[in-house]
Amino acid sequence: MFLIFALITLLGALSVAFQKNLVVAGLCMVITFFGVAGLYLLLANPVAAALQIIVYSGAIVVLLLFVIMLLSAHEEEDAQSVHSVQRWGSVAAALALAAGVVKVVLSSGFLRGAASGPAPANMNLERVGTALFAEHLVAFEAVGLLLLAAMIGAVTLVKKDL
Amino acid sequence: MELLARILHISPQTFWMIAKVIIVFAGPLTLAAILTWVERRGSAMIQDRIGPNRALLFGRWRLLGLPQLAADGIKFFMKEDLVAEEANNTLFWLAPLMAFVPAMMGFAVIPFGRDFTEAGRTYSLSLLDPGNGMGMLYPMAIGAVAVYGILTASWSSNNKWSILGGMRASAQMVSYEIGMSLAVIAIFMTTGGYDPHQIVAAQAKTWNVFPHIFGFLVFFTCMFAETNRLPFDFAEGESEIVAGFHTEYGSMKFALLQLSEYVHMVTAAALIVTLYFGGWQIPGMAHPPVLLSIGAFVVKWVFFCWVFIWIRWTIPRFRFDQLMFLGWKVMLPLSMGNLLVHAYFMHRWG
Repeated sequence: MFLIFALITLLGALSVAFQKNLVVAGLCMVITFFGVAGLYLLLANPVAAALQIIVYSGAIVVLLLFVIMLLSAHEEEDAQSVHSVQRWGSVAAALALAAGVVKVVLSSGFLRGAASGPAPANMNLERVGTALFAEHLVAFEAVGLLLLAAMIGAVTLVKKDL
Repeated sequence: MELLARILHISPQTFWMIAKVIIVFAGPLTLAAILTWVERRGSAMIQDRIGPNRALLFGRWRLLGLPQLAADGIKFFMKEDLVAEEANNTLFWLAPLMAFVPAMMGFAVIPFGRDFTEAGRTYSLSLLDPGNGMGMLYPMAIGAVAVYGILTASWSSNNKWSILGGMRASAQMVSYEIGMSLAVIAIFMTTGGYDPHQIVAAQAKTWNVFPHIFGFLVFFTCMFAETNRLPFDFAEGESEIVAGFHTEYGSMKFALLQLSEYVHMVTAAALIVTLYFGGWQIPGMAHPPVLLSIGAFVVKWVFFCWVFIWIRWTIPRFRFDQLMFLGWKVMLPLSMGNLLVHAYFMHRWG
């Protein structure tokens, strides 16, 4: 099961990167998000899976595709000049990121605990709510404030006469 | 149950699972097919016409025009399958499936009858058993994904009217989703749970529609926007953009797109019944027999399907800016107010 969802996620992500057509790339992104939602389900967290689909697949990528369709160019354009520095730099950055992620995952104590400990209980909405509003209240409010600021910023950027 | 399972040499759980899959697949699909007929006859009734009544079964039985359904099916299968020249072929083929599959998935959490116990086992009448952790989030997630069928269909046809229809549909669905979710959250709050079985059980005394009348109005309106039905069918808008997202579609692909709209309508009606009209509960009866509870659900369900058709042939289409105004400046504040008032009452009087 894990392999199926991991493959869906990886293949989706790869085709987002290599697909020349922007709309098809956007749809591949949806497939990737479904794969991630499946992985959340396997981690006994159906709430995160549902929210992943509602927020990312249902709202964010729809808006993304909406913007892409508004633009006239649906095909990726070829670069005017090839910068090999950029290319190798991006490969190096990606490798460094991947190495960092693998190191963090391998060094986490959870990996050792999960194999021996009992299977965690299913996450539900009540537990998400108490975690958000009891343990992480300040962070939650800060994120809300940040999003509000971003929203107002977007409006002021777009509106010529307020 | 036990006997049937023993005849088929499978365990009762497996038997019940298979039976439920068949019910959940066949039930909404059959109702959706019948609704295509009801829509035509109902619209004729409302507009003082006769409606389809020419199709005869074996050239003899008229049956109020019901054989029209079979005639439609045969006709759609026999039609030539046309694909527009500049269309994106793969996506053009995939789009009807992307519309149809989420439409069929949405019904899986809805409890369509009271749980019953037989030989020490409890059988629940919904495809996903209670306590699955997804609860009402599941139909919302599926509903959110449904827009991709329309978007893909509209973009892959490579037709400016199609793209206009698809963009209208996506803008509309995303903006109405927020008001809808807030209305549903108010129900989660007063119920103290988000599992549809809990929500139905909490409505034993009073249906949610009475305390949540504003929430119901918002949810009901948003369901029209989500299913792309008139007065909000901007994805099609015949008088403005030909047939919107399915302008280029013909034959069975068109039929699938059309059928998925009806299945959405069926699911939306079932959601309204579950959230606001007590699901399978019967007023004044604490523990109705299982069959009676299924009957009660079906009666309410069919009634709301009819309301969808009734409204389509009564109210004219909105203008697009009116739709956006209604969504952001009426529905969203209304559902937020609903949420705050319920939160205040719960805080004050428990």
